[in-house]
Amino acid sequence: MNKLFTASVLALATASTAFAQDLPQAGSTWFTDGQATIETMLAKQANTGRALNVILFVADGNGVASNYMNRMWAGQQEGGMGDDYVQPFEAFPELALVKTYNINAQTPDSAPTAGAMNTGVKQRFNLINLGENAVHDDCSTVAGNELTLFSELMTQAGKSVGAVTSARLTHATPAAVYAKTANRNWEDAVPEGCTAQKDIASQLVDAMKAGTLDVALGGGARYFVPEGTETPNGGQGGRADGVNLVEMAREAGIDIIADKAELDALDGSKPVLGLIADSHAAYEADRAETEPSLADMTKRAIELLSTNENGFYLEVESGRVDHANHATNAKRAMIDGKAFADAVAMADEMTDDADTLIIVTADHEHAIAMNGYCGRGTPIDGLCFDVAQTGILHTDEPVLAADGKPYTVVGYLNGASSVLVEQEDGTFAAPDGRPDLTQEQAQDIDYTQQVLIPKDSESHSGVDVALYAKGPWAHLFDGTVEQNYIFHVMDYAVNAGE
Amino acid sequence: MMLTRRSFLGQSPLALLGAGLSTPFLITAAQAAPQAGDAPLKIRDLYDKGAVLSPRARALDGTRIAISGFMAPPLKADAAFFVLTKMPMATCPFCEPGVEWPDTILPVYSKRRVDVIPFNVPIEARGVLRLSEFIDPETGFWSIIRLEDARYARS
Ligand SMILES: [Zn+2]
Repeated sequence: MNKLFTASVLALATASTAFAQDLPQAGSTWFTDGQATIETMLAKQANTGRALNVILFVADGNGVASNYMNRMWAGQQEGGMGDDYVQPFEAFPELALVKTYNINAQTPDSAPTAGAMNTGVKQRFNLINLGENAVHDDCSTVAGNELTLFSELMTQAGKSVGAVTSARLTHATPAAVYAKTANRNWEDAVPEGCTAQKDIASQLVDAMKAGTLDVALGGGARYFVPEGTETPNGGQGGRADGVNLVEMAREAGIDIIADKAELDALDGSKPVLGLIADSHAAYEADRAETEPSLADMTKRAIELLSTNENGFYLEVESGRVDHANHATNAKRAMIDGKAFADAVAMADEMTDDADTLIIVTADHEHAIAMNGYCGRGTPIDGLCFDVAQTGILHTDEPVLAADGKPYTVVGYLNGASSVLVEQEDGTFAAPDGRPDLTQEQAQDIDYTQQVLIPKDSESHSGVDVALYAKGPWAHLFDGTVEQNYIFHVMDYAVNAGE
Repeated sequence: MMLTRRSFLGQSPLALLGAGLSTPFLITAAQAAPQAGDAPLKIRDLYDKGAVLSPRARALDGTRIAISGFMAPPLKADAAFFVLTKMPMATCPFCEPGVEWPDTILPVYSKRRVDVIPFNVPIEARGVLRLSEFIDPETGFWSIIRLEDARYARS
C-alpha cells in the first residue's frame, strides 16, 4: 500500500515536470510568468563580497498592510489596477519578515525598534540605544548602559555616516543613528539635574563634531535654536536653555541648509546639517516646491557621502507614513509611501549592487487592515466596489455592510475618527449608526477612515513588517527574523564575514 | 501656561503673512465670495502649499463665509472661542509642537459661550473671515486668520 502510494506520487511528479507545457493552463500569462519566475530564482547568486556601503531604509509605521496600500496606490496612479504593480524594492531578491516587539512591549514604538537596528539588541519601550537595565525616563540609569552604535563602528572603519528623514532629525528613528537617551522625547531638553546625557539635538551636533555623523538632513530646526531666535527657516526657536546649536555647528565648520536650493548649492567640502522644517517636514501631499522631497535628500546625501572612498552608512527614514496612519488619514499615508519608494529607487539607481547593501524595511506596523470583498481595480483610497461576475474590473456598485451603508477599503481598528461619539452623559454611542459615505468624501485628501475604538491617536500594532534587501550578504535575510538581527547582517556585510 | 507659550502657527505669523502678501492677488473678492448653494469652504482652501495663506483666503478677508471641519476640544471652559480642525483631533492640535502641520486649523470666535460638539462630529461654521494679527487678551492665543462673529452647527 505504502509502496504503491509512493510509486504513484513519483509518477505524478515526473509527469508534471515533464509535461508542464502540455497542461491546459500552460498558455496563460499567469502560467508563463510563474515559469519565468522559476528561472529568475534559479539564476540568483549570493553576493559574498564586502559591502562598501550600507543603506538602511525605514518607512516608519509601514508594515505589511501599509505597504500593500502603498503598492496599490502607486500602481493605480500609473493607471493600473494596483495589485500587479511592483514597488522598486519589491523587485529586490531577498525578503524576510521581521518581529518588531520591544523588550517590555508587545506593541513596539519607534525608539527601541530603530535602536535595535542600530545596535544589534532589543531595547525597552520609549528609550533609545541604552541597554536592558536602563529605565525609561530615568536619567540615573543612563550611565553604564550606553550601547555602541553601528554609526560609531562605521566611523572607526573609516566610513562616513548619514541620517535622512522627513520627520524631525531628533525624532526616534533618525536619533537612533547617533543618540543615546532614556527618553525619546528629550529632543531639546533633559530634566533638571540630568547630567548623564544631553538632549537629543545636542547629541546630534556633538556627533557631527566628533565625526560619527557627517550628513544629517531632516526637520526639527526649532530644537536647535533658542526661544526668541529665528530658525534657518524663518520660524521661532524653541530651546529653553538659550543654546544656539545652529551657531555652534556653523562655528565647528558644518554647513547649514534650510531648503532645496541651499541643498542643491552645497559644495560638499564640509559636513552638512540640513534643517528643512521647524518641526517635521511636510507630508508629501502638502510639500512646497522649495522643500526637498525624501528622494531629493537621499540623492544629495549619497552624493556627499560617496566622496569617501572607504564608503558610508546611511539611514533614510520616511517619517510621515506613521503620522498619517496615526491620524487615520490613509490617503496621506499612501502618498508618503510612494515618496518613500521614489527615494529607494533613487538610491538603487545611484549605487552598485556589487558593493552596496540596501535594506528596505519598517520599524513597526499600525492597527491598519483592509476590508473586502472588493473587485479588481477598486481605488485603494476609496470605497470597496463589488467583484464583477464577468470581466476583470470591479462593478460600479459599492459593497454594502449589514447596515446598508458602503465602507472604505482601508480601515483602522482605533483612532480619533471613531464612529462612536461622546454623548451628553459622557458615554460613547452612535445613535444614528455609522455615517453614510460617498466615494467623493472617501477619496478626499483630508478624509479620515471610520474606526471603532475611540482614541486620541491611532496606535501601532505588533504585527510583523517585511524587509527587502539586495547587495552583499543580502541573502542572510530570509525567513522570520528578529529586528535586532538587521544590525548583525549590516555588520557582517561590511566585514565580508571576517 | 500652554496658551501663552504657543503662537497659532508655531512659527512667526508675521513671516507667514508676509510670504502670503508677496504673491499677487489672483482672485477678487467678488469671484471668491460664496454663492448661494455653494458647498462650504474647506480649511485647505485657505492655505497654499508651504502653509502660506492662499490668494482665495486673502480675497475673502472681511466677508462672511461658510466652512466645514471639526471642533477641537476647547482650550478653555466657557470661552467664546474654539479651533476648527480639518480632521478630527482629540487633543489641542497645536499644543504639542510639530505634531501637526499648522495649515490644518482655523480659530473661530463665536458670539456666545461655545456649546461643545464632540471632536469627531463634522460641523459647519459661518462667520466673517478676518486676516490680521490678533492676540486674544483672554487666552494669549495669537492668530493671523480667524472666523469672527461665528455661528456653527453639526453638518
Ligand atoms: Zn508612530
